Amino acid sequence: MQTATAHAPAHELTAPEPHTPQKNGLRDYVDNIRGTTKSFWHGMSVTLSYMFRKPITAQYPDRMPVGRLADTLPARYRGFLEVDRDICTVCKACERACPIDCISIGEIKDPKTRKLVGMDRFDIDIGKCMFCGLCVEPCPTGAIQHTREFESASASFTNLTFRFVPEGTVSPVYKVPKGSTAFMRAELGSITRAIVKNWDAPPPPFPAKDTKKPTHAATTKPSGAAGALGRELAVRALEAKAKSDIPKLQKTFEDAMAGTDCGDCGYADCFGYSDALAKGLDFDPGKCAPGGAESKGNLEVMLVALKTGKAPEAPVEAVEAAPTPVEAAPTADGADALQKELVAKTVAAKDNPDALKAVFEEAMAGTDCGDCGYADCDGYSTGIAKSGDNDPSKCAPGGSETTANLRAMLVSLGRKPTT
Amino acid sequence: MQHALDTFISNQFHVDAATWAWTQVIYAIAIGLAAFALVNFGAILAGIFSWAERRIAARMQSRIGPNRVGPGGFLQWFADAVKLMLKEDLIPTQSDSILYRMAPYFVMVGFSCTFVVLPFSHAIAATTMDLGLFYIIAITALIVVGVLLSGWASNSKWSLFGAMRAAAQIVSYEIPGGMALMVPLLISGTLSMQEMIRMQGGIQPEAGGNFLTAGGWPWNWNIFHDPAAFVCFFIYFTAALAEGNRAPFDLAEAESEIVAGYNTEYSGFRFSVFFLVEWGNVWVMSAIACTAFLGGWQVPGISLAALDNATGLSSIGLELLSLSFFVVKTLSLCFVVIWLRWTLPRIRVDSMMSLCWKYLVPAAFASIIFETVWVLAFARSPSFQLFFGVIMSIAAGAVPLWLFAKRTFDNIRDTGDRVDLTNW
Repeated sequence: MQTATAHAPAHELTAPEPHTPQKNGLRDYVDNIRGTTKSFWHGMSVTLSYMFRKPITAQYPDRMPVGRLADTLPARYRGFLEVDRDICTVCKACERACPIDCISIGEIKDPKTRKLVGMDRFDIDIGKCMFCGLCVEPCPTGAIQHTREFESASASFTNLTFRFVPEGTVSPVYKVPKGSTAFMRAELGSITRAIVKNWDAPPPPFPAKDTKKPTHAATTKPSGAAGALGRELAVRALEAKAKSDIPKLQKTFEDAMAGTDCGDCGYADCFGYSDALAKGLDFDPGKCAPGGAESKGNLEVMLVALKTGKAPEAPVEAVEAAPTPVEAAPTADGADALQKELVAKTVAAKDNPDALKAVFEEAMAGTDCGDCGYADCDGYSTGIAKSGDNDPSKCAPGGSETTANLRAMLVSLGRKPTT
Repeated sequence: MQHALDTFISNQFHVDAATWAWTQVIYAIAIGLAAFALVNFGAILAGIFSWAERRIAARMQSRIGPNRVGPGGFLQWFADAVKLMLKEDLIPTQSDSILYRMAPYFVMVGFSCTFVVLPFSHAIAATTMDLGLFYIIAITALIVVGVLLSGWASNSKWSLFGAMRAAAQIVSYEIPGGMALMVPLLISGTLSMQEMIRMQGGIQPEAGGNFLTAGGWPWNWNIFHDPAAFVCFFIYFTAALAEGNRAPFDLAEAESEIVAGYNTEYSGFRFSVFFLVEWGNVWVMSAIACTAFLGGWQVPGISLAALDNATGLSSIGLELLSLSFFVVKTLSLCFVVIWLRWTLPRIRVDSMMSLCWKYLVPAAFASIIFETVWVLAFARSPSFQLFFGVIMSIAAGAVPLWLFAKRTFDNIRDTGDRVDLTNW
């Protein structure tokens, strides 16, 4: 043992071995041999035992012990998207939610009533899809869902565009029964499985450039018809208001909406939004995303009619074409004449605050948009006439013309416009 | 083999082989054929080992391994070889190009020359060289030369590091490896590989033996001759692993430290030569261990006289029997080599050196001294040797093997698993 420890200085030349401190040379020596033998004994029995166990490798795809791998995946696996068009309300919430625009929906509207009647296209480019699931969440009926299908190897990239509405057909809009919370859906995956092609399937023919389908023409809005619808709705709204018939007013507002109950407006469904509009709780006509500009225009006409108390005059294409009518810039002479007239009225009403307020309101765009910071035009004009607001530039819809008019009027009163 | 050729000449040409002018030509043709057969045996064997190792390694890691090319993936090695040969053979501009080209030949020659004396069966061996064991230890040193050359000539730091490691390792482990082979040498009293196997035949019938004493029974093997031989088998096996740069001693090719070691710069066919030698060496070291310790081609119950005097069909049958015994034993050792590789992590350089100089070298020398005493004491009593051989083969052979098998299947059972040989 003494001789074994005497080798310690030589040992220092080699790398230190922290796990085997040199306490007792010979005992360590024997311990090392025993430890090595034991660890060999154990280690080799472990590795050998694996020779007799089943390898866990799954030989995908051709030697799988289970049938289809997709069927073994967890239920919430995010595979290919699938649309059940039988319960699709064509609200296009999924299309808007998609961050990479891989969903494309072709809506069809009735040319007269401007209501959604169906869709002739519901394409998802699964090659672009990043399987984020953002389209699934806003869907009011659960028509769009992730399936567990995932095998997308394809010789042709165009085969990765899944067409859920077969070409040349029109799928009708699904009307949600009031109060429904659950919707009968086709078996998840069955629709997508029918659409997915073999990897070597030939690509669909490239569409010729001039084949513009008539349905597309129908979706472009003829402004006259829309204006007529807006006027009709406004008249009905005025009638309802005259009778203080809130449910009827609500129904009228809902008629101007797309009716998909998508919830994109922030309300639970179309009823919520139209009810808020009818009760005067909401003044924003632009929340109906599926309805688009058309719905927004009609709602705006109705709101203006209710506010002013009179039905819109014959052609309201100004409203239809552009939500801010004053933007249609009049000629320089007309503008000057209007300004002179307003200034004259201002000077005349100088000592009558109520009359002054009415003149100021006349100079504004009258959309009650609230962009000025006041609740509506009434508030802004009162502020100028009675509370000493000297800023003429707050009327955003009126633009520079209104600002110039208001400034001239303020100057005529001997006040100093701030801008 | 010369004797067989002489017999062949006298039978076919009815001339005296010693004086016939064409004898040397016949010899040359026979040597060429034997060399061709042996080199190709080595090359094909190395290829098959590459497939076997991958399948075994995969299985030990709960994988499957290559199973697509050919039945069970068996032709994978062939596909790999074709791929390697078709690859571009790059020689670095800054390398010593002559030495760089020479290095694979040194390695290949050092490897294939061992087949000159490696026995395969009772009669199948290229030569029966009297200095067989000594020759093998000497000729395998050529591999070190090739490895050093390749590392030096590559002019790459990884290659040089790998080569220096390999040199230090191989030179160190030559000592315990060579010393461990001294013990079977002391037991059998010969350096000839064939003679060494013949000496493990136990008590022959002529000397009063019977079926259970003659032939390749485990109690006649050198490994169960005495405790020193038993220890020396493991010393030799460890040293041979290190000399062959096999895991856990593959420091010369430690990919996590020095890329691929001495063959970093090699590609294509030149690389495949290194590759081939590494796997071929597994057979060589297993065959030497089988020859020196495990009774070689000895068939249990068949005496040497029966093998020597057999004629005709029974001669072929006995020859094939002895060949299969040798091959099965050698392949089992090859399996252990592969199995070790996938069990043990690569050891540190200083641990590798301390294992050699502190443990294996002293143990090998102690074994030699023990063995000389043992041989002096018991060589004259074959019956005691037989008795002790039986005790050793039970105590050091059968019982540990049974315990190990039990342990292995306990491992499977204890983890809630079961024996399942499907999913190949």
